[in-house]
Amino acid sequence: MPKILIPTPLRQYTGKLDTVQVKGSTIGEALSDLTTQHADLRRNLYSDEGKLRSFVNVYLNDEDIRYLKKEATPVKETDTISIVPSIAGGSR
Amino acid sequence: MIRVSAEPWNAMVAHAQSTYPNECCGAMLGRVDGAEKEVLVAMRLENSSKGSQAARYELRPEDLLAADKEARSRGMDLVGIYHSHPDCGAYFSETDLKNSCPWYSFIVLSIQKGEFDHANSWLPNAEQTAAEKEELIYA
Repeated sequence: MPKILIPTPLRQYTGKLDTVQVKGSTIGEALSDLTTQHADLRRNLYSDEGKLRSFVNVYLNDEDIRYLKKEATPVKETDTISIVPSIAGGSR
Repeated sequence: MIRVSAEPWNAMVAHAQSTYPNECCGAMLGRVDGAEKEVLVAMRLENSSKGSQAARYELRPEDLLAADKEARSRGMDLVGIYHSHPDCGAYFSETDLKNSCPWYSFIVLSIQKGEFDHANSWLPNAEQTAAEKEELIYA
């Protein structure tokens, strides 16, 4: 089964698991299974409109899914999915 | 509360002073126990913001992914992000807020005329509308 690496601050919603095995043949299905297994994760990853929050990036192994097929990107049994935030800023 | 050990703290200050008058940024690795966080390693990351970096920083997600992998390989957690404000206070600006993520602590170091002046830690909310000040203890 593909696995999803859980960032430290979100492990409070996965029973402290740092990795979750998921079912699914696409990124969208894998994320859906993740938030079905751990429902409290949903509001952290998705907005009220059901879209991934603006600061949430998803990587399949080392590739940003925005440059693949986004949530339709196929996943294999051996793949690793990472959740990585966008972070920037500045004093003005 | 977030506590930064002497070694990572000195590294963060040195980093911030070295990039002055530009902003620096990096990742903080350590341990999290509920609301108690301990930073044990400061990891410099490249400011990838295009154009002037005097008042801007940007992290590449792949660099953050590498920082997370580094933390996992050391048996640590990615605790937060630090960046500097050259010749400005250590507030959490509108730009900081609009480009933040609520999962991490954000330490801002104020560098005045090239020297460290003060720092604060911030916890932004999920809506990116407000940030709460977090108690910061450093060596």
